[in-house]
Amino acid sequence: MKALCWMGTSKVEVHNVSDPMILNPHDAIIKITRTAICGSDLHLFDGFIPTMEEGDILGHEFMGIVEEVGKDVNNLRRGDRIVVPFTIACGNCEFCKKKIWAACDNTNPNAHLMEAAYGYSGSGLFGYSHMMGGYAGGQAQYVRVPFANVGPLKIESDLPDEKVLFLSDIFPTGYMAAENAQIQENDTVAVWGCGPVGQFAIASAFMFGAARVIAIDRFQERLDLARSLGAITVDYSADDLSVLDALKDLTGGIGPDSCIDAVGLEAHSAQLQGVYDRVKTALMLETDRPSVLRQAIQAVRKGGTVSIPGVYGGLLDKVPFGAAFGKGITMKMGQTNMHNYMKPLLERIEKGQIDPSYIISHRIRLEDAPEMYKVWRDKKERVTKIVIDPWA
Amino acid sequence: MSRALNEKPNAEPLPTLGSAGVILNGRYLPPPEDKDGKLWVRTSALVQSDPKRLYEIWRDVENAPLWQEQIERVTRTGETTSHWIMRGSDKEKTLEWDSEILADEPGHRIAWRSVCGDSSNAGEVIFEPSPGNRGTMVTVLQEFRMGKLASAWETIVGRNPKQAVIENVRHFKALAETGEIPRTQGQPHGPRGAVAGVKAAAYGEKIATPLGLNRKAS
Repeated sequence: MKALCWMGTSKVEVHNVSDPMILNPHDAIIKITRTAICGSDLHLFDGFIPTMEEGDILGHEFMGIVEEVGKDVNNLRRGDRIVVPFTIACGNCEFCKKKIWAACDNTNPNAHLMEAAYGYSGSGLFGYSHMMGGYAGGQAQYVRVPFANVGPLKIESDLPDEKVLFLSDIFPTGYMAAENAQIQENDTVAVWGCGPVGQFAIASAFMFGAARVIAIDRFQERLDLARSLGAITVDYSADDLSVLDALKDLTGGIGPDSCIDAVGLEAHSAQLQGVYDRVKTALMLETDRPSVLRQAIQAVRKGGTVSIPGVYGGLLDKVPFGAAFGKGITMKMGQTNMHNYMKPLLERIEKGQIDPSYIISHRIRLEDAPEMYKVWRDKKERVTKIVIDPWA
Repeated sequence: MSRALNEKPNAEPLPTLGSAGVILNGRYLPPPEDKDGKLWVRTSALVQSDPKRLYEIWRDVENAPLWQEQIERVTRTGETTSHWIMRGSDKEKTLEWDSEILADEPGHRIAWRSVCGDSSNAGEVIFEPSPGNRGTMVTVLQEFRMGKLASAWETIVGRNPKQAVIENVRHFKALAETGEIPRTQGQPHGPRGAVAGVKAAAYGEKIATPLGLNRKAS
């Protein structure tokens, strides 16, 4: 089959590789009909996530048709159309029972690597480094899905792929970000980053009852999409604009009730601290560039909530913990507990409450993916979301 | 066929105070320190199953190859004795030893030691309900006596013996909870780079993940 492989920092290539096989009793093999490039794939492309190896197949947002199932998969049959969550969960451990699926104990074959870095290991992820399990991803024609008895969501209606594909990661991730933001009726919510996760966080914040959502980015096409959802937009790159002042002005001086960091570890900042973080990460004295996180902690109102769907991987410098303590804020974060959200969000799509395909800007072939990774990284061609048909 | 094993001075039973238990008179009890050529490892797992079932899986020594890394075959040689064959990660060298069960409390505890062969080890496993009954806490304390042999062992086996115990308990938990052990060996990938072998070894990916299938179920 054809698959997109990570071949080093800033280097991905399409290669012919062997087809995946059933390796465990709860496996399924999926013929992929649509897959996408995620913003978090750029952290791999840019070399920010350790334990990547040349030849690793990328991709964790995908859906397709069941081709084959292992002997203990009783809920799926050949021919079923499914969306697969990017986190792999066993369904039986203490954490899955608590519905903290992204903390599953039994799906990371390389748990010892994550234990060394984080104390404990989270669940395995598709196509996201050996520390996160080393599973082959889904920017390919076929993929092996472990614990297919637990994760995949069957699509029984005739909704097109593009409307349900984002249930594999970014729609639930944006939704959990809004849930983690502990939004109360009539709250004001600020969202940093109007990429796909930010978009769904904005849409979800309104679902949770937010009266006003303020969206922060610098790309006009993304700010346009945010306004189309009803958000007030702030272009942080405008001359003489202070995001903190803007947020005060838009909240009567008290600050947003909730702040959502939908950017994560590779934040760009026009200010002096941006240079500071670039130098420190280049010297490997810091692994992440947390300028959005700093700003969100600074901006949130007293007793407010900072929710972090953006990915962080390692050590952060100069995080204003005094401000966090001084204002008595709550911070919630983590990989998405996908399995909680896929079904209820599918119902919202079926009822016509949201059409997630509105963010798609590019539809490509797998062969185009290496070039599109660069476009995606550089935010060229007004790109907002890239969807791949691996059979085109 | 297994070769004849030479009798040699070997592991004694675990000292009574150094049991796998982690609490003594209300105080946390740290595991013994590594010294005098002895390596100690203690590890535990919270498993969603009952102590009786977990005890039975562990006690069925001939099933050990399904969840213990690189154990090729275990043969019962008596009511409490067994012969173990381990194959190194190079697939050529083997390590063999005999093992004897010293204490056997059904549904609660098993203690063992090797009596002769290439491995000098003693261990104990305890199965007890967790506080608040959130599953069974499986706690293992194992001792390896190998002095300078430790590095030779590591070379053959491909894992430090302490980490091997930790990984085996992880496999045991996965098998007991889900009926399988997570694996990636055998999945597709693109062309690997020049240092892929070194990285795979560093990630522990060169060691075959045990099969995990339940012998009795299949």
